[in-house]
Amino acid sequence: MKRLRRLLRQRAMGRAAALLLGCAAATIACADDASFGSVITISNANGEDIYSHICQGCHMPHGEGAVGAGHYPKLAGDAALTSWQYVALTVIGGRNGMPAFGAPESLPWDSPTVHLSDAQVADVVNYVRSHFGNHYKDRVSASQVAQLPHPTAVPAP
Amino acid sequence: MDNLAGSGSLSRRQLLGMIGVTAGSAAMYQAMSSLGFAAESPYREPIDLQGTPPGASVLILGAGIAGMTAAYELRNAGYQVQVLEFNGRAGGRNWSLRGGDTYTELGGYTQHCQFDQGLYINPGPWRLPYHHRGILGYCKRLGVPLEAFVQVNYNAYLHNSQAFGGKPQRYREVKADYQGHVAELLAKASHQNALDASVSREDQEKLLESLREWGALDSNFSYVSSNSVSDRRGWAKEPGGGLTARPIPSQPVGLSEVLDSRLWSNIPSGDSYDMQTALFQPVGGMGRIGEAFGRELGPLIRYNARVTDIHQDDQGVTVSYQDTGKPGSALTASAQWCLCTIPLPILAQIPLNVSAAMAAAIASVPYASAIKIGLQFKRRFWEEDEDIYGGISYTDLPITNIGYPNTGYHSAGKGVLLGAYIWGLNAMEFTSMTPEERVQKAIEYGSQIHPQYKEEFDNGVAVAWHRSPFTMGCYGMWNADSRARHYDDLCQIDNRIVLAGEHASFIGGWQEGAVTSALDAIGRLHARVVARGATA
Repeated sequence: MKRLRRLLRQRAMGRAAALLLGCAAATIACADDASFGSVITISNANGEDIYSHICQGCHMPHGEGAVGAGHYPKLAGDAALTSWQYVALTVIGGRNGMPAFGAPESLPWDSPTVHLSDAQVADVVNYVRSHFGNHYKDRVSASQVAQLPHPTAVPAP
Repeated sequence: MDNLAGSGSLSRRQLLGMIGVTAGSAAMYQAMSSLGFAAESPYREPIDLQGTPPGASVLILGAGIAGMTAAYELRNAGYQVQVLEFNGRAGGRNWSLRGGDTYTELGGYTQHCQFDQGLYINPGPWRLPYHHRGILGYCKRLGVPLEAFVQVNYNAYLHNSQAFGGKPQRYREVKADYQGHVAELLAKASHQNALDASVSREDQEKLLESLREWGALDSNFSYVSSNSVSDRRGWAKEPGGGLTARPIPSQPVGLSEVLDSRLWSNIPSGDSYDMQTALFQPVGGMGRIGEAFGRELGPLIRYNARVTDIHQDDQGVTVSYQDTGKPGSALTASAQWCLCTIPLPILAQIPLNVSAAMAAAIASVPYASAIKIGLQFKRRFWEEDEDIYGGISYTDLPITNIGYPNTGYHSAGKGVLLGAYIWGLNAMEFTSMTPEERVQKAIEYGSQIHPQYKEEFDNGVAVAWHRSPFTMGCYGMWNADSRARHYDDLCQIDNRIVLAGEHASFIGGWQEGAVTSALDAIGRLHARVVARGATA
């Protein structure tokens, strides 16, 4: 909380605007409120911040996932987390309806998405693999994440 | 912009750059807020399906707008139709939350809507553009009455917490001042011959005349306080009758302050094709369309059906499902053909034997994050205190919008505002909260625009589309790459299965996309059925 407030003060308007694609975005990121990572440069958010502000919307506060007509996979005790590459690729490129968080900021989505750096992807991967009852010891670095394939902007036809 | 201050005349490039500020904001507005890809609906008239072979049958998955459009037309064409729907109601994202309704989102968070009789919010779609002929056509055929939706209200607010001391500005003031200053600058440039390279002398005379009209400029082509300017932006003291009659003109805000405020970014909020007047809303809530379809189709819809498997072979399609009220139940439904409107994040998780190309397409469309929050207040203070009748205020705060009810003006008693309508990162963050926290945040932020919030708040509901059990997101997000790679594969008939829904359209996130996608799909399906004849 305290740290977020500090980050708030450090925020760079332009970067936050680029993140959110668009106008309203250019003006969105102004409230002094630690509840909203967008008011900081999200580029400064760490794995825990990212989880609690973005991931838990679907994967739930304790990584328990949810079931409706379909399901959000639980992260607590999920064997798929054994592979850090699987987790990192999912964050970077999305999976099914889950948006990609590792797409370049320039990728022209028709709607707002969020861009995370490789360091942040590494941090949030490490976070989910070491919380919710998960105890994986191997930690992932930004450079390891950088070597995985990322979504790319398409050249004009 | 720096060059403007110091130079005696404007280059064409500088001017165009300045105008580009507006055009850019319009484009950005469209991307951010309209959902709009500005494609015109191809719908012209009701579909005509002739020559259905006896006994032809279609199983439809999903009783949203796409599924029910298809069911309605196929039934009328003589098909045996059955619809499986996950929810206990018809409509899907076409939905109004009213007093007495209960909604449980993923994670088990349950809300009991406590709005007064007749009050509602539309968690999903809330406006119908005049050129969305398909959905409007079904409103007409199903007897759903419409009323005006106010997109642009000149007396609603544009708000930037970092400009004008955080005080909201009236749309009419920002628009008049922005337009007036830009007109004055262009007139100045024309007088300084800075436009000679691009506009003939004769046209410059007309241009100047038009600028005076457009910007409410005076005889010297200046944008200054006057009666005609106040006739645009409003008065310091309104004209009246009798001895208190004399008006006092208002003072425009300076160009620099207008530009710095960035409030110009929402001036074009009614200019994109999807937002142009006239727009409509069903009387009583958007959900009236889904309800009318549901009544029309009656027993053809099997509610509370959770699809678990979709299998096709040479004979037909068999769908396994559970009754959501009876966990563990194993039911099946079969037909010769299947039209599937299940949102892609869910469909991607259901075993389905289609081509690899279609399966890849189904798994390639991420869904947008979006939030809507409805707030009931003890009185309609926006009308009583601020003369705001319908329309939308825009803010840089995370709530993004405040939407005022476009109906029930001057009603005594309580009123319901749309207290937030959010996309992108802020929507993900609101999604991560409990419904109660979302409502609380909407109150906190909204009170910066309407201080009456804290005193007048009564109760609220918050819908986060990524927590919706029946969609797992708001709508399908395509980009140029995914369209090129996957769109056609998604829409092709795969042996006996065809998909439909807003995700299978170029009018994504709009009900018109669902309608036109369904009509296109059943048109192709019908042609195939007729070609094969009664043997199916």
